[in-house]
Amino acid sequence: MNEKELLQHYKMTGDLAALGKLYSPYMSLLYGVCFKYLQDPDRSQDAVMQIFEELIEKLRHYQVDNFKSWLHVYSKNYCLMQLRKDKRTTHVDIEDNLYESEQKLHHADERKWEERDFEKLEGCMQTLNHEQQACVRLFYLEQKCYKDISDLTGYELNKVKSAIQNGKRNLKICMERKENGK
Amino acid sequence: MENNYQLSRIHNYIHGLMSKEEMFQLEKEALEDPFLQDAIDGYRLQNGVDARQLSLLQQRLNRRVEQTIATRHAQYYSWQRLAIGAAAGVIFVTLLALLYFRHFNGKAERTTDVELSEPENTVSIEPLLDGGDASPREGWKTLEKYLNKEYKAVGSGEIIVTFTVSNDGSLADIEAEGRPERSLAEEAIRLLQSGPKWQGSKGRLKIIFPNRNHVEHGTIIKPPHCFGIEKG
Repeated sequence: MNEKELLQHYKMTGDLAALGKLYSPYMSLLYGVCFKYLQDPDRSQDAVMQIFEELIEKLRHYQVDNFKSWLHVYSKNYCLMQLRKDKRTTHVDIEDNLYESEQKLHHADERKWEERDFEKLEGCMQTLNHEQQACVRLFYLEQKCYKDISDLTGYELNKVKSAIQNGKRNLKICMERKENGK
Repeated sequence: MENNYQLSRIHNYIHGLMSKEEMFQLEKEALEDPFLQDAIDGYRLQNGVDARQLSLLQQRLNRRVEQTIATRHAQYYSWQRLAIGAAAGVIFVTLLALLYFRHFNGKAERTTDVELSEPENTVSIEPLLDGGDASPREGWKTLEKYLNKEYKAVGSGEIIVTFTVSNDGSLADIEAEGRPERSLAEEAIRLLQSGPKWQGSKGRLKIIFPNRNHVEHGTIIKPPHCFGIEKG
């Protein structure tokens, strides 16, 4: 059974073994996600198990089309809720989350690019700030890894990553504006 | 498997064990896959992948799934047992009810025949050999039958009589020993005088008379029913 069939089978029968099969491949990624927010090995392990417990009920009632994306969002929300309960300072980078949310929103809008789209893109590249422009060019056009970009530009690794993420987001917004203005 | 592949890539990426091309590839994938990006960020914070922890986590999940399956089985079997128990209970109660109605409805009247043994209710004789050599010509059995047939219920008890045998076989000088009940002695003498012929010269005989007033030979006895609802 593939992922979709397992999901359907679980929804129909409540067979926990099917849910286990569905969940198991994502556990190591989930642990990483939970650790990112909770920053504690034991709490992260418990969170992974607790999310599984919650899925037992949720997946019988919710219609889930893309399990991986849904699971990611669900687990992230779960960890954020835990932090809120603790009244601890969250370590979430707002830029990262903005970027991810937008990426989800526009995921379905992919279409084939034409020649003039590339011209527009070049125009939009000019609108980015210096850091973003440099990092996006080095990453997408010259296919450098973050470490190389960091070495070349002197920016920290985290700064490189967020410059690329934000640059990509700004480019998308710019492109959409130009598209609408046509 | 795909999961393990990603995990080893994350491990290699964090520890700088990848080529620049592989690093770029993973970073590009992560830009398109926020789940992967978050996981990479998490493992970077943890300073690498701890395989032992993940193995423990996998074991916890397996136990959780097995536990639920085992519980379901246990519940299924306990319900099954309960159902069998309930069915057995119903059958038992039904049988009891059937027995009750069968026993007390309609067929309550019963008769039980009790044959009482012969020796206790008949006249019996016991020749006493020290009293002489006389014996009935037609045997002791015939004498006993005669006594039982002709005996009139005048009382019960033992009586010992002595007598002499005349030439014609009849008995003379019949006397009861001791001080028996008079009516019983008279009855014994009457029976012997008009009874079968004897041989020999004299004799001594014990006659035991039953209590015919209380227990009739071959009487049908109806035992009282335990609930006393039997028709008389």
